[in-house]
Amino acid sequence: MAVFTICLLNGASFGCVLFLLSSGLSLVLGLMGILNLAHGVLYMLGAYIGWTIAAHLGYSFWIAALTAGFATGVMGLIMERGFLRRLIGLPNEQVLLTIGFVYIITNICLWIWGSIAKPPFTAKFLTGAFTVVGWPYPYSRVAIIVVGLSVAFGLWWLQEKTRIGAIVRAGMDDREMTKGLGINLELIAGALFFVGAFLAGFAGVIGAQLIGANLGHGLDILLLALIVVVIGGMGSVQGSLVGAMMIGLVDAFGKILFPDFAMFMLYFLMVIVLVIKPTGLLGRKL
Amino acid sequence: MNQRLSTAVPYLIAVVILVALPLVLQSYYLSVATMILIFGLFAMSLNVIFGHTGLNSLGHAAFFGTAGYVTGIAIVTYGVKSFWTSAPLGILGAAVTAAIFGIIALRVSGVYFLLVTFALGQLLWTVAEKWNSVTMGRSGFVGIPAPDLGLSFLDLESPVGFYYFVFVVFSVCYYLMARLHRSPFGYALQGIRERESRMRALGYNVWLYKYIAYIVAAVFAGMGGILYAHFNGSIAPSHVGFSTSALGMLMVILGGAGVLWGPVLGAALIILLQGFASLLVPARWPLILGALFVIGVMGFRGGIGLHMVKTVRRVFSRGSNQG
Repeated sequence: MAVFTICLLNGASFGCVLFLLSSGLSLVLGLMGILNLAHGVLYMLGAYIGWTIAAHLGYSFWIAALTAGFATGVMGLIMERGFLRRLIGLPNEQVLLTIGFVYIITNICLWIWGSIAKPPFTAKFLTGAFTVVGWPYPYSRVAIIVVGLSVAFGLWWLQEKTRIGAIVRAGMDDREMTKGLGINLELIAGALFFVGAFLAGFAGVIGAQLIGANLGHGLDILLLALIVVVIGGMGSVQGSLVGAMMIGLVDAFGKILFPDFAMFMLYFLMVIVLVIKPTGLLGRKL
Repeated sequence: MNQRLSTAVPYLIAVVILVALPLVLQSYYLSVATMILIFGLFAMSLNVIFGHTGLNSLGHAAFFGTAGYVTGIAIVTYGVKSFWTSAPLGILGAAVTAAIFGIIALRVSGVYFLLVTFALGQLLWTVAEKWNSVTMGRSGFVGIPAPDLGLSFLDLESPVGFYYFVFVVFSVCYYLMARLHRSPFGYALQGIRERESRMRALGYNVWLYKYIAYIVAAVFAGMGGILYAHFNGSIAPSHVGFSTSALGMLMVILGGAGVLWGPVLGAALIILLQGFASLLVPARWPLILGALFVIGVMGFRGGIGLHMVKTVRRVFSRGSNQG
């Protein structure tokens, strides 16, 4: 029972990191049809910037998280305004362009921070642990769950209950019609891209509490985020949350039950969802 | 007759140049030329589904690498000597992988197809890296010898002999893919790319056509992987996964998906640049490659091959029949 509870918490905390990452990917894909494969390296860049500010220079962890998010957000905005906006409706070109950014950003990170992985770091007041079912459990993991669920609630509220959210949903359903109503969809789309890229960098710092910063994360975490999008369906905050939690939990329990096959369980889950519902569990129609 | 001649001339020139290359090139540059033919074959195979059928796969290296691994394992681990047994085994490996992946990936289309093929490719990459006892793990499967064709007068251990061997295989595959492209099956694929719903209305089993095209493309990619395994003497997890798939896609887009030899041109450009960059600035090659992706997408959409064809046509038609 103790192992079960610990696994549940581990899975939920990793799931929350995945949610922060994949929600941006999913919303951008849903609204603009842009597949940003550089989303994973934005996460990685965020983790490195966060490490520099929090662990290396010794500033507050939360300042580090917000600064990293802002930096990757600006980076994302440059990618969208400068390049991706001209490639709307051309998925192959988007993929190649963003793969180019994957190589460029990874190589620059290697240049600046070297090839040795940075260890996990966290805020000072989160370094301790408390007792769950007789086991010590770190505060930092609980903080991840709180942050993740708060962002999830915020995004859900934004998308379902506000005027901007209504515009985003309308844009996903019918782009031309929304523009025809005199709405500046380009502005909203750019802002959404910024939010997605911000969340990627923010997730990098939040996730660094678990896995630190590493040059391999750019692709590893992207793969997980893509599986989340396939499972949850694109363009939906709830879908991302459900998908991310499923992946987080399957990963956590898989590592305990079948240590050698944890990664395959994730693919297995993806294949099952594809067979049952190709558009994802809570996805919008394409 | 004249029409046929004028289309045959460029091919004749290309063949003469490719046959004469070993006479002028040193062994290092000859190995670069061999690489170009191998990756040209790989990029062309991707174009069978990518350019001709309109299926944007980001996991095509899965078949390249699988065939390479299967051949290597057959030769080194199980002692299969003859190329005529080991190569079909490798191709069978690629075809079976494609038959399984195709059932999963073809349930979706468009961007989702990209995501799913990407994930499936990474699945194989995980297998190649983690299954130490069979694949030798992270560092790659090593010790693959030159192919044994059972013909004693051919020396495939020498760079020149191996180059000609690759050239022959490449030419046969090129011919087969060109025939496929202009066969009723090929036209049906192009119809699916242009308008899937119309093809369905005409009574074509669209899914089956896509599925077969997916497997055929995998077979040619597998042939490329087998050549590469023999050429390099080894095959690594990266040859199954994302980086090789993305490279193939770049070759197709840069060279031009609309022209049959476009992908080969793309492969030549990338391999040549990689050759020079790895000599001059090895640590910054990914940076250059990334920039190449960005420049290729922003500047050469439609591909260099298409631009070349248009230029040549403009020169030869003297602008008389331009509408």
